[in-house]
Amino acid sequence: MLLKVEHLTKKINQKVIVDDINLKIYQGQLIAFLGPNGAGKSTTINMLTGIIKSTTGIVDLQGLKPNDTEYHQKIGVVFQNSVLDQELTVKQNLLSRQRMYKKKSNSLNYWIDKFHLEKICNQKYKYLSGGQKRRVDIARALIHQPQILFLDEPTTGLDIQTRNLIWKILNDLRKDTKLTIVLTTHYLEEAEYADFVYVINHGKIISANTVDNLKKDFAQNILNVTTDDVQGVLKFLVDISYKIQENQIIIPIDEINAIVLLNKIKNNISGFEYRQGNMDDIFVNITGEKVE
Amino acid sequence: MNGLLLRNLRLFFSSKTRVFFSLLGALISFVLYLIFLRKMMIQTWNSFNGTVKLLDLWLMGGTLAVTAIITTGSALSMMVEDRENSRLADLILTDQSYTKIHLAYLFSAWLIGLIMQIAMYIVMQSYFMLADGLELDGTIILPVFLIMVFSSLIWSIFNMVLLSFVKNVNTVGHINTILGTASGFFAGVYIPIGNLPNFAKDLMKITPVPYNAALFRKVMVNDQLTKVFNGVPQKMVANFKQKMGLIISGNSTNDMKILLLSLIILSVLGIILYRSNKNMVVSKI
Ligand SMILES: Nc1ncnc2c1ncn2[C@@H]1O[C@H](COP(=O)(O)OP(=O)(O)OP(=O)(O)O)[C@@H](O)[C@H]1O
Ligand SMILES: [Mg+2]
Repeated sequence: MLLKVEHLTKKINQKVIVDDINLKIYQGQLIAFLGPNGAGKSTTINMLTGIIKSTTGIVDLQGLKPNDTEYHQKIGVVFQNSVLDQELTVKQNLLSRQRMYKKKSNSLNYWIDKFHLEKICNQKYKYLSGGQKRRVDIARALIHQPQILFLDEPTTGLDIQTRNLIWKILNDLRKDTKLTIVLTTHYLEEAEYADFVYVINHGKIISANTVDNLKKDFAQNILNVTTDDVQGVLKFLVDISYKIQENQIIIPIDEINAIVLLNKIKNNISGFEYRQGNMDDIFVNITGEKVE
Repeated sequence: MNGLLLRNLRLFFSSKTRVFFSLLGALISFVLYLIFLRKMMIQTWNSFNGTVKLLDLWLMGGTLAVTAIITTGSALSMMVEDRENSRLADLILTDQSYTKIHLAYLFSAWLIGLIMQIAMYIVMQSYFMLADGLELDGTIILPVFLIMVFSSLIWSIFNMVLLSFVKNVNTVGHINTILGTASGFFAGVYIPIGNLPNFAKDLMKITPVPYNAALFRKVMVNDQLTKVFNGVPQKMVANFKQKMGLIISGNSTNDMKILLLSLIILSVLGIILYRSNKNMVVSKI
């Protein structure tokens, strides 16, 4: 096991922000913390990286504690907001951070190459686009070759291309170096590649499972049909659960069965929509409450 | 720590506006002197030969003290920016200890203060050389340099203490504005200390500023003073020294002792405060 977390709790002014979190993370895994705004994801990451102290609980990375200096060598962190120097160039930024680590690692050019930064190497950080900044941020977090990378909402606000590029690099690294990744996100899609997902709400882990199981159990795909002939449609919905909202019928159902069903009811409906289950569904289904 | 030091210096000097504004307070005192103050002061001391050069050197001394105060302050505003933008958190996550990170801020402020004093000195000396024919006195270069080194150190520590718990860039801007204005008064550049009411004098004397300015002035003015006041009664010379803030606490040795004591007090304070501020100033992700 790489990272062990037991009973991690954070109280600020008597308010419990992170409540008794337990994690077991193995080398090479991709772990996602999924939760709405204010769930306590960043606070948890901050405790795992040692930026803030936990109120109680243990964080153990192969015998190291977050306030040991050697711990820093083993972790890389990509913050929710960028933390590099606006006035320095990409290269100066990376070089200055690399010099702050004792262990000598891959040359800068390796990372510049890997993240396709050649063209923007000598550009000031402040003039980069959001996606370019993010690539540099991640390169910065990996520059000392950590074993575990923490990413706080890594791809929020990025276009598909950049998102794919980042994920391609990260996946390569996972294959080549067995890099372990812990990320936080609001979106189920972003947790798609994760080996394991911790769903967090109000500082508590309310579910811990693989993406597939989570989807199966709590976020089934939804078929939403619009019809003037509700009774006519309902005749075909034997043994299938559904909800009626005025002239709409909401039916949790997988793709194949949806096609079969649609074929049967095609003459009774005026339109339909089919969508993937999302985080909201998971929350509604686990907690019975809507995400505010 | 070298990496961090280099980064801090690079950040400071890469922004021309930052460099310029860090010197603004000093430039203002210089320009005010040229436009208004010089005339008034010359009228006071005009019965002597060579007063102009004497006052030029006097002004340079005070302005260098102001430069040390404000440039170290603006160098350390980078420290506050790092706190506010979570950059400090990122730096702490490297192999560098919090102590080293702090020392790097201190050393870079020290160096920046020194470099800016030298720059200011060159600007003023060149100007007065052209305007008033003030020749460069080679013998004072080393002592002035040493005082610059000392002033930069004491004011770096002072500003570090002052900014111990500040993690907001706006606040640091206000603090530096106040510091810039106040330091000109406290150094007795805008109005010589002798022309101030007693209360103001006493207020100035509880800060290290006038002592620092006095140290500069004494060394810089020395030669010119003997020339100008050649054959003039000792009493009158002493009067000049008192009025113009070349001596603050009776004699120069005392002034020096007070400065050293301030350095010690500030250093102790600095150490105590930096040890307790970590949890307060590190912004989270
Ligand atoms: N220093 C603090 N003092 C008081 N409350 C805090 C403090 N830090 C965090 N909180 C509260 O703790 C809760 C969790 O915050 P956190 O930043 O961990 O959420 P998050 O899951 O990262 O949310 P987001 O998705 O919006 O980034 C929030 O309700 C926040 O207001
Ligand atoms: Mg967050």
